[in-house]
Amino acid sequence: MEPAQTTVTGTAGTGRRSTRRRWDATDLSLVAVFAALIAALAILPGIPVGPLGVPITLQTLGVLLAGLVLGPARGTAAVLLYLVAGLIGLPVFSGFSGGFGVLAGPTAGYLLAFPLAALVAGLLTVGVLRRTRRFRVVLLFLAALTASLLTIHPLGIAGLMLNAGLPLRDAILVDVVYLPGDVVKDVLAAVLAVSVHRAFPRLLAAKPPLRA
Amino acid sequence: MRGFGATLGLYEPGRGFLYRTPLAVKAVASLACAVAVIAWRSPATTAVALLLAVGGLLVGARLSPARVLRMLLPAAPVLGILALYQGVAQDWLRAFVVVGGITACLLAARALTLTTRTQDLLDGVVRLVRPFRRLGADPERFALALSIMLRSIPYLAGLFVDVRQAARARGLERNPRVVVTPLVLGAVAYAHRTGEALAARGLGEGEPDEALPDEPTGP
Repeated sequence: MEPAQTTVTGTAGTGRRSTRRRWDATDLSLVAVFAALIAALAILPGIPVGPLGVPITLQTLGVLLAGLVLGPARGTAAVLLYLVAGLIGLPVFSGFSGGFGVLAGPTAGYLLAFPLAALVAGLLTVGVLRRTRRFRVVLLFLAALTASLLTIHPLGIAGLMLNAGLPLRDAILVDVVYLPGDVVKDVLAAVLAVSVHRAFPRLLAAKPPLRA
Repeated sequence: MRGFGATLGLYEPGRGFLYRTPLAVKAVASLACAVAVIAWRSPATTAVALLLAVGGLLVGARLSPARVLRMLLPAAPVLGILALYQGVAQDWLRAFVVVGGITACLLAARALTLTTRTQDLLDGVVRLVRPFRRLGADPERFALALSIMLRSIPYLAGLFVDVRQAARARGLERNPRVVVTPLVLGAVAYAHRTGEALAARGLGEGEPDEALPDEPTGP
């Protein structure tokens, strides 16, 4: 899964944006460390909320951060790497301990939506960072919110319907419980991403065409 | 990777035929469980999946029934509420079908991680990537990324604990921004250090012919 992403970036390098290139060692380790960050945020504190007790953790914060900080390609790759590690059975998912079993669990839709969320958040972030220097926190918050509303919530609801056998209305009710927490996490992700881009300006900004 | 894998994994040494079953067979079986339970939602499917998963753990890994039950502990609250909901809102047979199916899949997945060394799991997934080499996938870099990820989790978890203690000392532990900002900045800095260390050893770069001018990465 993840190397396929590498290919995408590799071929994208020949495309319109001349600044794109094959990943170097730093890109690779950013992807890996962000996958680890999502895992660390997912494992550490887990507060079960809502009628189904799907744990509210900082897991989604990590997913959105991957998109907001690393951009679409590396961000999605980081989330995919995290999912692969969890699906082969490493205990990196919150609540359930990992393995293919989560695919049948009620939270499967949320997990499978994560790479898409990072992709959407990353695409929007690149657009924001290229265009403006002002209102970045607000714009990145909107990027994160859009990503989670477009991907995590619809797919999460679908997963609840399919795997937990909930009718649509009940699935939406279960999902809505997490919305306020998600908005808080979106704000946090935006604030954090702006700090990161301030501290590491070359992370996502268009790199100088000639690196030498 | 070899040293750390053991601490994160869920492998427990033991005896039984599951320990001798090839990883591919166990992986396919565990995946098949999830597919079957979702695709054919019926009492019969659930019953068969449950029997196979529990039977596999009892006989194949020689666990006691109490151990099997204890494996379900982390997921118990969710499963319990879901069963209650299905039973009250729909009917109890449906509750058994849904919750039993999820339980069977969790146990099947756990049977795999219990009886396979973490290192073998990692080798297995890298082997799985190899056929995609023709499409441009790079199993070596994938393996490298996976091992860096596993190595980073304890570092980041430790950083998180440190940062939280520091925030508590200042009475700011309820401010998530104060708690998480140093963690994320620390993670990015750590990734850059790791990237430089890799580059210095000639690891993790692309194909030599695609490599960029020989300027080292990083600032």
